[in-house]
Amino acid sequence: MSTPDADGAVTGAVPDREPGRLGRLSARYGRALVTALILVTVVFLIGPVLVTFVASFFQNWTGLFPSGGLTLQNWAQALGIADTVGAARGLGGFWTFVAPDVLFVLQLPLLPDLTLYFPFDFYIQTPIPMALGFSVLLALLGVLINLLVGVPVAYAVTRYDFRGRRLMNTFAVLPIVPGIILGIAFLKTYPGLPSVIALVLGYSLLKIPYMVLAVQSSFESMDLRQMEESARSLGASWTTTFLRVIVPGAKQGIISGSIICWTLAAAEFNFSYVVYSSGPRPFSLFLFENISNNPFLRAAAAISIYFVIVAAVTALLNYVGENGFSVGGVR
Amino acid sequence: MSTLDESPLLGRVRETRAGRLVFPTTERGRKRRRIAALAVPFFALATFGAFIPLVKMFRISVAEQFLYEVQGWSLGPYRRLFASIAAFIPVVGTDLSAAIAVGGEAVNPVYGETIWNSLWFGAVTTVASVAVGIALAHGLEKYDLPRKGLLVTLISFPISLPGIVAAFMMIVLFGQTGLLTNFFAVLSGAQPVDLQLTGQPSGTTLAVLGLFFGYIYSMIPRATLLLRGTYAEVNTDAEEAARALGATPLQTFRYVTLPQIRPGIVGALILTFRTALAIFGTVLVLKSLSVVTFRFDQLVKVGYELNIASALAAVFFLFTVLFTFLSLRYTSAEVAR
Repeated sequence: MSTPDADGAVTGAVPDREPGRLGRLSARYGRALVTALILVTVVFLIGPVLVTFVASFFQNWTGLFPSGGLTLQNWAQALGIADTVGAARGLGGFWTFVAPDVLFVLQLPLLPDLTLYFPFDFYIQTPIPMALGFSVLLALLGVLINLLVGVPVAYAVTRYDFRGRRLMNTFAVLPIVPGIILGIAFLKTYPGLPSVIALVLGYSLLKIPYMVLAVQSSFESMDLRQMEESARSLGASWTTTFLRVIVPGAKQGIISGSIICWTLAAAEFNFSYVVYSSGPRPFSLFLFENISNNPFLRAAAAISIYFVIVAAVTALLNYVGENGFSVGGVR
Repeated sequence: MSTLDESPLLGRVRETRAGRLVFPTTERGRKRRRIAALAVPFFALATFGAFIPLVKMFRISVAEQFLYEVQGWSLGPYRRLFASIAAFIPVVGTDLSAAIAVGGEAVNPVYGETIWNSLWFGAVTTVASVAVGIALAHGLEKYDLPRKGLLVTLISFPISLPGIVAAFMMIVLFGQTGLLTNFFAVLSGAQPVDLQLTGQPSGTTLAVLGLFFGYIYSMIPRATLLLRGTYAEVNTDAEEAARALGATPLQTFRYVTLPQIRPGIVGALILTFRTALAIFGTVLVLKSLSVVTFRFDQLVKVGYELNIASALAAVFFLFTVLFTFLSLRYTSAEVAR
């Protein structure tokens, strides 16, 4: 075993000058092998994703190749817009906004109440399936909390030196509690709380490391001290400096952190599965139901809905300047 | 507002330690106030989102009753849990578990088995994922591969997929109508039923192999990204010097690169093992091996034995936290700088 000493020089056994057979083999084929491994891994990771997406448009798929014609039936059923029994298990119909009947009641002293009716009867049916829309909102709320919590903490541990800084940093960037444990802990803690609030609280706590890491990497590329001191010497208060100089400077980290947190929260399963009791179902539970009870191709369509979302998000991340989800390596 | 027209009470508040934090009079005090203000939201979230629920969970794990109100104190759940874990230990197990279960708790070796399964299976998948991760990070960093950004994007894609989707990907590849299953069936002439890796009876070799692929599907991307950060800091001059002095690529890796990335490898092993322990959705769909997280599902959703579930969760949680912190502390692993 050879270890580098303080100077970085390797002590211990001196390696052979003459390369052995293994050395010769590795020199000739090593690079090709590693490249092949990269390709095989990419195919292993992405191949089934593409197959799932393609399969969701076919009528049958048994064996190596799809058969039957192309169809949108699987998607229609997964989205809950087909008129079949199975569609009731879909995403729960569309979100509909119905305009209020009474706009508002004007109560003035000494006068009878004045009721203003909405002039016409109308409603908007959005093309957003219920479970999906609900999860989008939940995840957005989680991201909002993550921004309010994550950006200040990332700034504190990057800019200032204080006692307990390293510990705070570790707590902020390492996911301390696994989702399923947090779920069990939530079961009896807030009994009166609607599932919605419990879910948002859990999502924001579970995903905070991704936000802190992304924002921190932006902060670390800035000269925070100099920026802060320049702004202060020009007369800005510390609060103004933080909100109008520091935060805009970390825009890229904040945007990519938000996108990553949103995507991961929208599909959070372990915690949701344990905690969810009533109310609109989160999207991940809809996916689980499809995977466990539905025919293969409809499950494929349901999962492909999520793939479309992630592909869009990944494109967005690349547009912002990140290579996919490579910011959130720690988990 | 001058200090003259203040009430004496407010003046007294300012003298206290907390008062000095809120109303500082020096620049150093103001800096302290800023740090505190920046950390307040995080502490609030950690308190309400993690600390209070976890304390409640510990409380339930030592409660006599939990169905309507959490009442009473009892070590029964822990005694039962540890006696059950002890019962699984070969040779000395039976005597040990009898010594622990003084209250006559029902002993069931299944807990020992699930914990053992979690540990060995987590270790195997971790080593495999990190080994592949080293090769991937090495290739991405050292070779001039075309479309490197696209490759990184594709490799990191599964990070965004929940465990249940990873399990479905395994069904696509290895199920009875799966791609690889049928491909090998056509090649070998065997029946797909004998080759499929998902949907086999729990605990069989084929089923565990299928779950193994499901685990590494989620773990390889994370390990690779952790190691990419390590590889970015490797001193390439030393490698080039070694190659110029006649070392083979393998020797260069073994004697120059490896010593530099060893802390990163240890860190990746620790964090990937943590991930492996926490995987739940994949097991829930594939049902190939009873690990601890899967046991939680049985306890909470099927049996509603919340006290023993909380005890198991408490043990599991303490183990993961201690494991992560101690190993990151006592190795030179660099994860969060």
